[in-house]
Amino acid sequence: MFIGTEKLTHTYMSGTPYAKEALRNITFSFEKGDFALIIGPSGSGKSTLIQHLNGLLRPSSGRVFFDHEAIGSDKHKLLQIRRRIGLVFQMPEEQFFSETVFDEIAFAPRNLGLEERLVRNRVNDALHKVDLDAGTFAGRHPFQLSAGQKRLVAIAAVLSLEPEVLILDEPTAGLDSAGRRTLFNLLTNLNRNERLTVIISTHHLDEVAALAGPVLVLKDGRLVMNGLAADIFIRRSELDELGLALPPVTEIMHNLFEAGLPVNMAVYSLTGAKEEIMKLKRRRD
Amino acid sequence: MVSTPNAIVEAKAVEFYYTGEETSASPALSGINLAVKQGEYVALIGPNGSGKTTLLKLFNALLTPHTGEVMVEGISTDCEEKISQVRRMCGMIFQNPDNQLVATTVEEDIAFGLENLALPSGIIRQRVDDAARLLDLEGLLRQPPHLLSGGEKQRVAIAGVLAMEPRCILMDEPTSMLDPAGRREVNATVRDLNNSRGLAVIHVTHFPEEAAAADRVVVLSEGRIVGQGPPEEILTDLEMLHKLGLQGPTAVELAAMLREDGYPLAPQLLNSRELVDSICSLERKS
Repeated sequence: MFIGTEKLTHTYMSGTPYAKEALRNITFSFEKGDFALIIGPSGSGKSTLIQHLNGLLRPSSGRVFFDHEAIGSDKHKLLQIRRRIGLVFQMPEEQFFSETVFDEIAFAPRNLGLEERLVRNRVNDALHKVDLDAGTFAGRHPFQLSAGQKRLVAIAAVLSLEPEVLILDEPTAGLDSAGRRTLFNLLTNLNRNERLTVIISTHHLDEVAALAGPVLVLKDGRLVMNGLAADIFIRRSELDELGLALPPVTEIMHNLFEAGLPVNMAVYSLTGAKEEIMKLKRRRD
Repeated sequence: MVSTPNAIVEAKAVEFYYTGEETSASPALSGINLAVKQGEYVALIGPNGSGKTTLLKLFNALLTPHTGEVMVEGISTDCEEKISQVRRMCGMIFQNPDNQLVATTVEEDIAFGLENLALPSGIIRQRVDDAARLLDLEGLLRQPPHLLSGGEKQRVAIAGVLAMEPRCILMDEPTSMLDPAGRREVNATVRDLNNSRGLAVIHVTHFPEEAAAADRVVVLSEGRIVGQGPPEEILTDLEMLHKLGLQGPTAVELAAMLREDGYPLAPQLLNSRELVDSICSLERKS
């Protein structure tokens, strides 16, 4: 098991009137190089789960694994784990505090105690990975960036630690469609070319469904589905009951199928949908 | 400048620069003329950085224009002593409800704006209860807001705005942090208030499917209005949308690709149901 949990349960404010069981008995694993999704309605426990994966939260019971070892409470080891597993929070640009893009990204490598020459290399590499030109952007104030660029800088700030796993919590909130496409192209490339394990928690499946390998579905803190994208996204009525929506293009294919047309429903892209529908026409001709 | 009849909010020849950018060649907004009437539902779309949020803030008097004028119910937002009146008439809903909820219980949060008006407590109680009933929050009044779901929190934020009895609701991507069920819930709620109470709505969104539900779609790019009209006109103009880096609703995009390959579909399909029906009737005929 590269990264995962075993019978993980987490209760917030345990022992108070507000005690709330956020996760119950979660067991799953992802392999190195996976492009995984964690989906579920608001309040289903997605953010709580991913904060366990890099040791920010500790289980009330059960265990969390990384690289075939249980994550313990040893402070030094936890520090190591947080370097190897990068976590990008929701709306990460709201936490910017530096005067320049360079300093923002350099913050973590400097904390590692690296000498400035190496820090500069880390920053340049990280900017390169998110496809921003260091010459153009390093000296800018973070507020002079577009929303999409800010999000990329926030991701670069995590990539500067050269993690093996990148976890992103609702990474496309507030981005326009061009920004969303840029972000997902970039994550796909990092996943394929650098073998970065990518874990995304989201409830917007539109752009990401086509990229997904393993998928976890959470509801009220329980793991209600665990499988490969193609097997999960076929279960439309169950997802619908959970308040989750398939990508609109997949919805269209399901509706055509239900209307009696022989189309493949496991289609997540416009091109795929077009090809399926053109097949109908060819057969008719 | 002549005002548009029945306009609840109106921007007239507005130009706006952020501080420090007065000398820049590209103002945050320029040449903006836009009037929204009572009961009208307007979707405001455009790429990130095109000025959508800035325009909303001008209607709410959080910002004032450098040239031109913004009027709310005939009052200029430049008029310092009437700013609180303007803000009461034009309530703002932000992207992240966590940034907007301030009190320790839902009912205190809904009452917050009213208490600042120093209204008698009986009236406050009445308005809080009315708003809670309209937004289906009666069962949650004593809950702390931070324990609610995203959709519930956004409904509390809307209730707080609604209790002020506004004429217009300004919404800045109110559903971008919500799950699909929360999105449906908030969109249906606002559309309902728009229909039943004649509230004007300006809704900034990145979801073309949300824009498709509006009466009128206004497109911003680089601080200018570059297009406006009914959704079936604006959201089917893929050439214009793509040039701006925007996308049409999925059904419109797919229909265009099919037509290009010789699949005979009508030109103004806007939503998935229309597309599915058209394909079914074509395929069944044969």
